[in-house]
Amino acid sequence: MIISDSDRARLAIRLVEAVNAAATGTTVLVPLHHPDEVDVVDQWCKRTDNSVLAIHDEAVEVYRGRLSDPSSSLPADRMPGSRLWMYTNFHCNLACDYCCVSSSPQTDPRSLSVDTVHRAVKEGIAAGVKELYLTGGEPFMHPDLAEIIVVCTAAAPTVMLTNGMLFRGSRLAVLDAMPRDNLVLQISLDSPTPDLHDLHRGVGSWQRAVDGITTARSMGFNVRLAATLAAGEPHQEAALNALCEQLDLRPEDTVVRRIAKQGVATRGVVISRGTVVPEVCLTSTGVYWHPVSATDPDMRVTTDIFPLEKAIDAIRSEFLDYRRKGDMLAAAFPCA
Amino acid sequence: MQPVLVGAVAYTANVVPIWEGIRDYFRGSEVEMDFVLFSNYERQVESLLAGHIDLAWNTNLAYVRTVGRTNGECRVLAMRDSDLVFQTVFVARNGSDYKNLTDLKGSRVALGSRDSGQARILPQKFLADAGLADDDLQLVIFDSDVGKHGDTGRSELDALRAVLDDEADVAALGITTWNQLTQAGEVGVEAVWTSPEYCHCNFTALPTLDEARAERWVSHLLKMDWDNPEHRQILEMEGLKKWVRPELDVYASLFEAVKEQQIPDTW
Ligand code: SF4
Repeated sequence: MIISDSDRARLAIRLVEAVNAAATGTTVLVPLHHPDEVDVVDQWCKRTDNSVLAIHDEAVEVYRGRLSDPSSSLPADRMPGSRLWMYTNFHCNLACDYCCVSSSPQTDPRSLSVDTVHRAVKEGIAAGVKELYLTGGEPFMHPDLAEIIVVCTAAAPTVMLTNGMLFRGSRLAVLDAMPRDNLVLQISLDSPTPDLHDLHRGVGSWQRAVDGITTARSMGFNVRLAATLAAGEPHQEAALNALCEQLDLRPEDTVVRRIAKQGVATRGVVISRGTVVPEVCLTSTGVYWHPVSATDPDMRVTTDIFPLEKAIDAIRSEFLDYRRKGDMLAAAFPCA
Repeated sequence: MQPVLVGAVAYTANVVPIWEGIRDYFRGSEVEMDFVLFSNYERQVESLLAGHIDLAWNTNLAYVRTVGRTNGECRVLAMRDSDLVFQTVFVARNGSDYKNLTDLKGSRVALGSRDSGQARILPQKFLADAGLADDDLQLVIFDSDVGKHGDTGRSELDALRAVLDDEADVAALGITTWNQLTQAGEVGVEAVWTSPEYCHCNFTALPTLDEARAERWVSHLLKMDWDNPEHRQILEMEGLKKWVRPELDVYASLFEAVKEQQIPDTW
């Protein structure tokens, strides 16, 4: 429907009336008589330095004034869309009790093809992606990992998450063939001693991970440690730092993460779109809000992987929306 | 030194952050200020005359009345740049064929509140100056928000609605309301006549306000800077780019209108 001039005039009257009566920094609902009126409201707000905050069924929520840039509080490398995560595959040689995507040797691999990775990297970079992250499952169980790594490292700095336990035989050769530049191996090690690590990840896994780190370092790879901790579990920083030194790693190359209540984890941090800054994550079944939730249907943004830019834009704008509302509440709800 | 106490009328919720912002701007300056909010201009002017406040942030009509009540002794300290260039616009449906005010003879003209300079008092003067007596027109009057001197713009919106509802042929709007409305795009209504510029608000003081103190206050006010983001926030809300010294000549048309229409100094 095309809105008649007089309907536009009436809408303009409602806008002026409602917005002028509101204090800057607060919102008003402007009733709509037709869905197409949203465009008029949008245009009016842009021209008068006000902002559309949300569109409801029969009303538009208008914020009086300009919204502060909701992304300004984020460093550039954390802006949604600057990192692209890819789940190369979902199966794994381990079956950790906190695995956020329920991986195990029996898990359906749901692997990404080299072609898909290729296109995703190309489109991602064009859309502003600056860093690539590969994860799984265990990426070393992907038959074409070597090619995937070539594609990724040629395009951008790449971090690959691995449990570091499969560096033998042909997989050791795959590792050795990987470039040392533009690639960081992030290997899981939860504790400075086997106890805690093996409790969640299986007996003997700590030692094999430590062996894997040693192998990778001896081959000249950049290695980073990642410790995943349950609530209440201590981050044994001093002991872990000492171990880092032994393993020829810098203490600052340690990432500590909390367990999320996702996948097979029955306890942990609850994740939702409104509360977690997104990191665009691609799997063979779609694009997800964040890699820690790559099997959670609520966190899937789209089943259409391509064009990737569309998915990235959707995540970005949804995030900025959440941010705005957060800013808004903070502005309108002073407690003291 | 006691802060200068400024009175303002609370015509929108924004008045609070505006005056808190201005008060904060004066904090630490030679002459600080505080403010009092009134629900209408009558109450504010009475308080100024009674010495309860040092300055009144007055509409043009409140100023004219203060001049009348003080026999011309009151002083104007400052105004907004935007106060110097206020205008009234007569609008009608597109294609109405009105070219100027004389064409309105016999038409239904929607006017706003009786205490609004831009929507009633001056439009009536402009019509009279064009040779149209009240009998030549069918006036459709919207006395909405009386006491606020047209600040809320309510009566102007009511007048425009009357045009859209075909209860009036023409409506008189303040230029700011008209500009705001047209940001929505084509609204099927066009300006048929735009008035000469006239003055809007100012800071009015009684002669009893110490001149040196007033001057220190004004010179600090004039230093508010559009390029300073903190100042700009306040300036934007209050609808100006910079504060300026008064130019009282530009109130002449309203003084004449008040006289011609025999609008009393007290109410
Ligand atoms: S947490 Fe990592 S290593 Fe453990 S099962 Fe999941 S994917 Fe495999």
